[in-house]
Amino acid sequence: MSADTRTILREHEADLLVQQTSAAADDVVVLTLVDPAGADLPEWTPGAHVDLVIDENLTRQYSLCGDPSDTKAWRVAVLKNPDSRGGSVAVHERLQLGTTIRVRGPRNHFPLVGSPRYQFIAGGIGITPMLPMIAEARAMGAEWHLLYGGRKRASMAFVDELTGFDDNVSLAPHEETGRMDLRSVLGDARPDTLVYCCGPAGLLDAVEEMCQAWPPGSLHLERFSAKPQAVGGIEESFEVILARSGMTLQVPADASIFDVVQKAGVSVLGSCLEGVCGTCETGVLNGDVDHRDSILDDEERESNEFMMICVSRCKGKQLTLDL
Amino acid sequence: MSQSLPRPKVLNGRNFPLNCWYVAARSNEVEHTLTARRVADLSVLLVRRDDGTVTALEDRSAHRPYPLSLGQLEGEEITSGFDGWVYDLSGQCVRVPSQALVPLAAQVRKFPVLDDGTFVFVWPGNPAVAALRPPPRSSWDNPDWTAVGGQLDVAANYLLLHELFADVTHIPFVHADVAPQAVASAVPPPLEVEVTETSVSFTRNYPPTPLAPWHAEAVGLAADGAYPQREQGSFVSPGLWVDRWEVLREDEPRVLGFTQAITPVSAGSTRLYWWISRNTTREDAQVSESLRGGFTEYYSRVARVAETMQQVIDTDGTRNDVNVSADEVALRVRKIVNTLVREESGQDSGRRRIRRTANL
Repeated sequence: MSADTRTILREHEADLLVQQTSAAADDVVVLTLVDPAGADLPEWTPGAHVDLVIDENLTRQYSLCGDPSDTKAWRVAVLKNPDSRGGSVAVHERLQLGTTIRVRGPRNHFPLVGSPRYQFIAGGIGITPMLPMIAEARAMGAEWHLLYGGRKRASMAFVDELTGFDDNVSLAPHEETGRMDLRSVLGDARPDTLVYCCGPAGLLDAVEEMCQAWPPGSLHLERFSAKPQAVGGIEESFEVILARSGMTLQVPADASIFDVVQKAGVSVLGSCLEGVCGTCETGVLNGDVDHRDSILDDEERESNEFMMICVSRCKGKQLTLDL
Repeated sequence: MSQSLPRPKVLNGRNFPLNCWYVAARSNEVEHTLTARRVADLSVLLVRRDDGTVTALEDRSAHRPYPLSLGQLEGEEITSGFDGWVYDLSGQCVRVPSQALVPLAAQVRKFPVLDDGTFVFVWPGNPAVAALRPPPRSSWDNPDWTAVGGQLDVAANYLLLHELFADVTHIPFVHADVAPQAVASAVPPPLEVEVTETSVSFTRNYPPTPLAPWHAEAVGLAADGAYPQREQGSFVSPGLWVDRWEVLREDEPRVLGFTQAITPVSAGSTRLYWWISRNTTREDAQVSESLRGGFTEYYSRVARVAETMQQVIDTDGTRNDVNVSADEVALRVRKIVNTLVREESGQDSGRRRIRRTANL
């Protein structure tokens, strides 16, 4: 009888060089990241994002917004937002030309699914994942329209890259046009159209609300900050069974499944640990999940097939996971 | 150990993406003649042009269901053997015998094609998407290395082959006679698995261990010595699995590279092209011959295992197979492939439906 083969799971990580920086709009900087030795970077598809590990305690997600066929360079755009938790300010201040940064990923929880028509809706820096999506939609010969809102024209990045598509793009700088007219693009549910939306929480919530009238599965959206959760009562302890590993573990009231599983020596992927990035998604084989992430939609939650083990818990006494 | 998620039914009879580079032939097989191949449920005709580049057309006349490969190639024109329609190598029909004007839609499909000198790849999917993806990444293209290769047809779904290459646990059982001694060690090193959006790879670092006799010969080292070793395997794309076995030395590691181009022919058949390259014993023809012989046998055994599994599935259907922790690599491969197929076909209308296991 031989000893256990321990499986250690991790995402691709590399220290990349900031080869180029440029301003894309007021307070938006575009970084070009390359391998310092010129090695190829992993493949990705439109909608993918990476983690920038600013320091030990500060990791933030950024959509890749360059050309997926370019294996030598990645492009990300960062908004300097003084209200955020410091990530973007730190990126602006520390990521000067010629410095290196640890980059984890890519991963994709916002993939572009084949469709005859797309409605893209971007608010502010949420434009970033839309750029490679638009290139892909054009290449596939799909119809598409982009509604792109921002505070003012000067704060809206990549407007120059959208010129020439006047029929396909509606720009909505708040200073000029007021609130984004979501009804104009979402008012009539269209079965031939998939809706992709990225932007601030208020926009996402409004789009989610309007898409209730659309066929299930029409809406794809990406959040980069946690959805506020209803403040619950006292947490309960419960049991998790790890099916592949053959282990049963107790999750105390004050710990996450993710932590307990890691401590038991079972390797799982995780990044944001607040239910935003989707890295720790795990298959559920049995038990009733108490979902607390910001990723799964209602239909997905009801299916009870997957959960984000960094934040979600158990409604009953026991969960069986595909780990 | 316990049960995992059930495998769903075949998706429209197809569980491979079309938007992918697949090997259609070895480069040296494609000449200025009509070479017919099946790739991803499509009939493909390969022709090397006068300028040395390769053209890939659909192997079917626009007029009637008759393969162009049964016609004649003269210069840069193909004449159909059934109706005498003449096509240029862009796929455009340029003459028909029965009338002066060429019918408007008289054209055959042209596939994006890429010839890297070792393999000819074709892209059976949307040609415009090919331009938005990087070319296939290979590990065989170090021109200084010596390589031997072969190919075989396997009566099994292509994903079963990927899953075998992803599964390090079966090697000591299926390949007991040739398995590196390191994989049977009493205290196996950890299986380090690295994932990206579209790939998964594993690494195992072994403490100093003796080499199997064939291995010692192939890398020019004494069979009675013990050497630290590193094993790596990568799912690069649905069409490509590569492995590397390094014997670590103070100077340059002695490397065997294994490239497996896995080309789905149909739902239940696959062509496997294998290519083994090495950075040592490069002038030694005897080593090349032993590797060719030994790995012809090795890959036939891989094929027989895949075919046996396919027969069990065909006879008794798929089951909720039980997995262990070390199956992580194979399960990640299924997940990536599933996602690619669902996204491309537009059948994913939500995350829930793309997170299932393999479609076999």
